[in-house]
Amino acid sequence: MFALIFSILLQVYLFYVVFFFVAMNVVYTMLMILSYRKIMFYMRQNLFSDYGLMVKSELTPPVTLLAPAYNEEKTVVESVKSLLKLNYGKYEVLVINDGSKDGTLDVLIQEFDLYRSKQIYIPIISAKPVRGIYKSKKAVYKNLIIVDKVNGGKADALNVGINVSRYEYVCAMDADSLLEEDALQKVMKPFLEDSSVIASGGIIRIANGCEIVNGRVVKVGLSHRLLPLFQVIEYFRAFLSGRMGWQGVNGLLIISGAFGMFKKSAVIEVGGYRSDTVGEDMELVARMHRIKLEKKEPYKIVFVPDPVCWTEVPESLQVLSRQRNRWHRGLLDVIIIHRKMLLNKNYGVIGLAAMPYFFFIELLAPLIEFTGYITAALMLIFGTLHIYLVGLFFIVSLFYGVMFSVCSVLLEEISFRRYPNPKHLALLLAMGVIENFGYRQLTAWWRTKAFYDYARGKKEWGAMQRKGFNKKIDK
Amino acid sequence: MDIKLLIFIALAIGATFFAVVASLGLVIHKAIHAQTIRKRQHLYSFYSDLIAELLLQNVLPLSPDARTSAIFNQYEIIIQPIKNRLREMSQLKCKIEREILRSVLIDFAKDVRGEISDRLVYFFYSFGFVDEQIKLLSDRRWWIRAQAARDAGLLKARRAITAITACLEDVHPDVRLQSMVSLIRLVGVEAFKTIFRVSKELSLWTAVELSTVIKEYKETTIPYLIEGLQNDSQSVVLFCIEMLAEIGFISAVEPLRKIVENCQDVTIRMKAIEALGRLGDGRAETILLSNLDHAHSEVRLKSMEALERVGAYSAIPILIERMKQNGGNEKIFSARAIASTGKSGVEELNALAQNNKFLLRAVVEQVLEEYQFRVEQV
Repeated sequence: MFALIFSILLQVYLFYVVFFFVAMNVVYTMLMILSYRKIMFYMRQNLFSDYGLMVKSELTPPVTLLAPAYNEEKTVVESVKSLLKLNYGKYEVLVINDGSKDGTLDVLIQEFDLYRSKQIYIPIISAKPVRGIYKSKKAVYKNLIIVDKVNGGKADALNVGINVSRYEYVCAMDADSLLEEDALQKVMKPFLEDSSVIASGGIIRIANGCEIVNGRVVKVGLSHRLLPLFQVIEYFRAFLSGRMGWQGVNGLLIISGAFGMFKKSAVIEVGGYRSDTVGEDMELVARMHRIKLEKKEPYKIVFVPDPVCWTEVPESLQVLSRQRNRWHRGLLDVIIIHRKMLLNKNYGVIGLAAMPYFFFIELLAPLIEFTGYITAALMLIFGTLHIYLVGLFFIVSLFYGVMFSVCSVLLEEISFRRYPNPKHLALLLAMGVIENFGYRQLTAWWRTKAFYDYARGKKEWGAMQRKGFNKKIDK
Repeated sequence: MDIKLLIFIALAIGATFFAVVASLGLVIHKAIHAQTIRKRQHLYSFYSDLIAELLLQNVLPLSPDARTSAIFNQYEIIIQPIKNRLREMSQLKCKIEREILRSVLIDFAKDVRGEISDRLVYFFYSFGFVDEQIKLLSDRRWWIRAQAARDAGLLKARRAITAITACLEDVHPDVRLQSMVSLIRLVGVEAFKTIFRVSKELSLWTAVELSTVIKEYKETTIPYLIEGLQNDSQSVVLFCIEMLAEIGFISAVEPLRKIVENCQDVTIRMKAIEALGRLGDGRAETILLSNLDHAHSEVRLKSMEALERVGAYSAIPILIERMKQNGGNEKIFSARAIASTGKSGVEELNALAQNNKFLLRAVVEQVLEEYQFRVEQV
């Protein structure tokens, strides 16, 4: 009797898994179509966009670049120098030393000839105390400001940066990421075209394997290691099909913390970044949506597929697992914080489409995938499922995975073509197949484990070891 | 056969088919694209050389009593070899080559002046490119209309002026912008009269592009910018104010002063105050001082900022009052305006630094540090 009930339960669950799989693929297909339309529109619009004029015109709004730094004494000088060389009209670089334990502040003081300024600090958004504001004695670095503060995490550092910033537009980024020379112009354009835009995110591309000279990617390439290659495909899927598709219906729920431009007044209006979550970037965007929708104010949050921020991704399983675990805990946290919006028609596209997508597909997918493997195994043991059905289902899911990977590479190929070498294209397509054997299951496990870690109350980021770009400068 | 099995097989076949076709398509697309680019580059350099040769080719000297059309006859003879070449081709090939020829001619048009430029304009008309552009200006696809508007300007197609003027009211901002730029290219500075009269909304992006064009014409645009201040659209008025400040011509002071005096729109008022500050004319002092009491704090801040640029000595007593009474930001802006008057202002600030109030002292210290830094830089 027990065996019968158990077997029925397993069958019901397996049906649910199949239904989930079909629903997920339908949503992915819709996102892919939306992305294609938006990318085409963007490409056509770009034909008439002379970004160089933004540098020449006095009308271009000035921007503050916020770069939080924590224990980055080895890379911070090069990163700041590269930020100071961006091609944009008026902008300031604001580095926030978030209570680093190493010599981050000392190397900055020494390299840029800094003095402790008497500038008043007005905490508009509450954050950890500021120990000092530093400016350079050299006129050439007059747009550089260093803020030294008590450690409080990235979100807290960004809040301090917003408080100190002089300009109406703030660009949040990682101190160890590299922006392309014209990235600021491109990410700013939506704000100029439409005054209701309150946030705009750029694309993050993977720098592992690229040739970098003096903080600039001079030759785009692919890493020789498997993990970064898998992540290239993942980033394509996330940015070119996911975010691009969502922004087509003003349903973008995340702007990457590594590169996002915000209207300062809009960030202050919602109270700045929350420092008690590890998904602070997504949480801010979700809160912006929520507050604007509650106030019934017109607004837009957009994604621009062209302005590129290059970042180094983990090359070891240990670091990657920590990163994925943190991302998933962040997602879970955001969905719990903003659960009110989930399936709530008062929040329009966000409540009825974006939030359910992030909840049912992004959040639950690894859990369902993982439990799906276990259920299938159990049913095989109990003899209630034929081996060929399991095999076929695996093949179907594999090919659908490959299909979406191919489509995202296709989107890249018909639009931006950052990987000019046909060998790169072939390699990326091959990765779209290989990632399904082991890597996909591994990430599903890391993300599943995030539920357990979240329940335990784990809130830390975990150390992100980077090799740093400066090594490649010597090449 | 089990229905579930059939569904799975169908799904697997569907996905496999798509993945294989898409992958193959991708690789083929890449190869074709590379080949097309190579072919186009080859054709482009072929036509570049040919056109350069034709443009430099000497024409026979005309007698003084020759008709104007005589020179056109000579131009026509020059381009005959290209026309013959195109005539002999298949329709598809001819279309591709005409497209490349057009882009070559447009690229040349950006750099040439004088008689060579006239020759190019004749080529455009003779090849029928101008009529094609006029037709495309009413295409249903916005990007085609925008491209046509841009090209018509580059082709110096005066015949297209009416159609381009109509495009100033197009639904798509890019078409409107390209039409504006082209109209200026074709008509010159007088185009601004039409642009500011017709424009209903200027996005900041359009304003950025237009501002660089206006900079080329400088003070000749001032009458049109002043006229633009009467436009009903806030964005157009803001743009005109901004450009008047940017050009920095003294005749702008009076109309701007009137706006500050009479305009009820706070945004426009603030922009005009800012512009007066940038113009740095002493005549603005009184009106700026009167706005220090405005109910809107942003207007007060803008007035202080403008006074900083004007460097008004007579404003010091009022600014000191504001420093003592008003909030954080107003304290800082007032102190900056005081410091900008020079030595006497700095002395006043030093005296204020003796004040017991922490915030007031901190503000003075910050502003004096900024002032010191500026002096050192100078």
